[in-house]
Amino acid sequence: MTERPLVRMTGIGKRFGGVHACRDIDLTVRAGEVHALLGENGAGKSTLINILSGVITEYDGAIEVEGRPVSFAGPAGAQRAGIATIHQELDLVAGLSIAENMFLGREPRTRVGTVDIRRMRRQATDHLRTLGADLDPRRLVGSLRVGEQQLVEIGRALSLNARVLIMDEPTAALADAEVERLFATIAELRRAGVGIVYISHRMAEIEVVADRVTVLRNGSVAGSVDPKAASRDDIIQLMVGRSVDALFGEGRNEPGDVLLDVRELAVTPRRPTPGRTEPAGVDLSVRAGEIVGLAGLMGAGRTELLETLFGAGGSGRRAGRVTIDGHPYRPHGPRTALARGVAFVPEDRRGAGLMLEHSVTDNVVLSALSSLTTLGLVRRQAVKRTVAGQLRALAVKAASPTVATATLSGGNQQKVVFAKQLLTRPRLLLLDEPTRGVDIGAKAEIYRLLHQLADTGMAILLASSELPELLSLCDRVVVLHRGRTVAALPRASATPQAILAAANGDDAKEAR
Amino acid sequence: MNPPSPTAVAEAPPETPPRRRPIRLPRDRHAIVDSFFRFQSLFGLVAVFVIAIAVSPVRNGENVFLSSGNLANIVRAVSEIGIIAVGMTFVILIGGIDLSVGAVLGLAAVGSATLMVDSGMGVLPTVLIVLFIGAAFGATQGAIVARLGIQSFIVTLAGLQAARGIARMWSGGLGIPIAYGDGPQEAPESFSVLSGSINGILPVPALLFLAIGVGALLVLRSTAFARHVYAIGGNEKAARLSGVPVRRVRVTVFAIAGLLAALAGIIHAGQLNQGSPNDGAGYELDAIAAVVIGGTSLAGGSGSMGGTIAGALLLGILNNILALNNIDANVQLVVKGLVIVAAAALQKLRPRIA
Repeated sequence: MTERPLVRMTGIGKRFGGVHACRDIDLTVRAGEVHALLGENGAGKSTLINILSGVITEYDGAIEVEGRPVSFAGPAGAQRAGIATIHQELDLVAGLSIAENMFLGREPRTRVGTVDIRRMRRQATDHLRTLGADLDPRRLVGSLRVGEQQLVEIGRALSLNARVLIMDEPTAALADAEVERLFATIAELRRAGVGIVYISHRMAEIEVVADRVTVLRNGSVAGSVDPKAASRDDIIQLMVGRSVDALFGEGRNEPGDVLLDVRELAVTPRRPTPGRTEPAGVDLSVRAGEIVGLAGLMGAGRTELLETLFGAGGSGRRAGRVTIDGHPYRPHGPRTALARGVAFVPEDRRGAGLMLEHSVTDNVVLSALSSLTTLGLVRRQAVKRTVAGQLRALAVKAASPTVATATLSGGNQQKVVFAKQLLTRPRLLLLDEPTRGVDIGAKAEIYRLLHQLADTGMAILLASSELPELLSLCDRVVVLHRGRTVAALPRASATPQAILAAANGDDAKEAR
Repeated sequence: MNPPSPTAVAEAPPETPPRRRPIRLPRDRHAIVDSFFRFQSLFGLVAVFVIAIAVSPVRNGENVFLSSGNLANIVRAVSEIGIIAVGMTFVILIGGIDLSVGAVLGLAAVGSATLMVDSGMGVLPTVLIVLFIGAAFGATQGAIVARLGIQSFIVTLAGLQAARGIARMWSGGLGIPIAYGDGPQEAPESFSVLSGSINGILPVPALLFLAIGVGALLVLRSTAFARHVYAIGGNEKAARLSGVPVRRVRVTVFAIAGLLAALAGIIHAGQLNQGSPNDGAGYELDAIAAVVIGGTSLAGGSGSMGGTIAGALLLGILNNILALNNIDANVQLVVKGLVIVAAAALQKLRPRIA
């Protein structure tokens, strides 16, 4: 080791009650390196990060920053020491401008004590330029795309003279193009000598961006590897402690009759919402027993299409023809959609999928209450039986069906959403990023589940920004660009290149 | 937290025949701590009750607070606020608030008096019409909230003004006294039952409060409607995507609040033998206080009817014991404020069940 590391954590341990969240973990971050932290949910990544960023103040072991032992009294202390964190859920105020957000709480002052707006804007612009971002500092953060908001957050970290940047799943909400840009930014930071702790579930990214990989399992370090040298399977095996052979399922099944047929679907919103891309000419069909993927860049209108098909989109004039089993289908709302056998697993699990503070039971039965009530009264025993059966079928790990859903891991929360929707006995399942923020073990289980469902004759339409997921899971991939169908690729011809080309509008007849 | 689900303790034992996945009980300490917070208002009620006995003046060797006459007074005084608070609980559970209930009470009191005294109507048609007015008023507010997506705080603030205005127009701005008898300008004798008691012990309004409280408690525990109410308060978007008829539930909830406020107004008129358009001013705040003391979250989605009933009784006993000890009414207000803050603070301390 030629130079002293920026951060050295030694023998870090932390217990919650009787559970070891972290046990004797060593971690170093050197200047100009990207150190990836991998592990399934519950492996101890968050705890370790919370210790380093000063959120958790009581722990075993020692932390040194540039050779000096430190102990932070809180996040502010860690920030002063040059350690900044970019959380998955960004800590920005939507109603304030870029500059105001960057200098929130430490606004530069003029001599008379008012905020020096001009200096603030100038410095904000400088920091954004360093990151290769050309954004007007006067713009409201709420009007920015997620990737741009992230840059603002990174810019704020720079303005705090951060030497170490912790990035918690920075690409989770980004489209592919934005990911490219983020990687360019990371390269800039690395050149500037910033050390980065990079947390992600996406193996492909780690291979591109990381200099070192540390894998955590059950609160301990399972191994440290060089991503250039180690194979993906090696890393996965370190994470789960067993080899995951059938992570991605094999193609199977011969599909049945066309169940969902969409022709020329377009929605003219009554009031256009910025950032939403309504369907503007969608053609696709899904057969019974078929898994059809929905690909496209962020803003291509995947979510909006699924919402429209579920009757949950914005109000507006609808053109085109949608049929289920050949009968016209025009849902007025989720209720009519569910009644027609259409179920939807939304992208935003916390915001739109679950009542986090409510029990697992309450969540699971919500959509199917009518089948569990007599004269408006809920049949408790039937609910208990149904929920128990459903949790077993999906292998949901929960201490009990009465615990708050928030206490479950991300993967298990997602399974609760599935359990709820599947209880309505759907024939068509609409999925929006069903494995986002889910660890690799749960991911494999969800893939298996989807295959089982398809084998029972369920039609599945799945939107995903992860190409490997689409390529391995789907019988066909439909690509959207600016709200319209630009390609429908059968499994054989669906290559990453073909999908990306179509998604970027290369095949579009008129690229406006 | 979410009362329709049985407590963990009730959940566990015998009826899990397939012992494949034994359900783990939350550790005992947690269960105890949790039930303390769950029933905080009940503990509070018992505590205040005991304190009241201790500090009550004693006259002729008899504890004044515990005298049957005084206890009857308490439940009588509590019943109007209590009935309103029951409706308010539904509204707060869906994450809303209803500021119009006090004004609707006034409107209902005026309506009762006017219909019987001026229009010579019988008791039953009067009651039905007034209840309908209350429910319709509430439903209208609910529809505005649901359709236009305006916050219920604002809609019901406007509703408060409107209901007050209508009551004043209807009554000419004056209280309308209710005289009993068979003549013109007189109300049927049977309406005075509201100021009476059963067997001279249980006041009729208290009986109504009890009946409605227990009814609402059962509704919240066992119906699909209640699950929908909790779901909307917990996460409205998730509820909508799960097929919950969000608008319909919302309108129903505000209709219930309006209906119960009107019922409280009828009782009010019966107890005071008059209907005044200014009746019930500020009652909405007492009702909200009862709900908050009962441990229901203003953010919606969690809370219980039992808590609200206990909260209303707690406030009533507090007022009573302070009055019995001749403590200044203004001091009473300050004490009430402190109790509300204390109740809310206790809820903040409540640990998240892990």
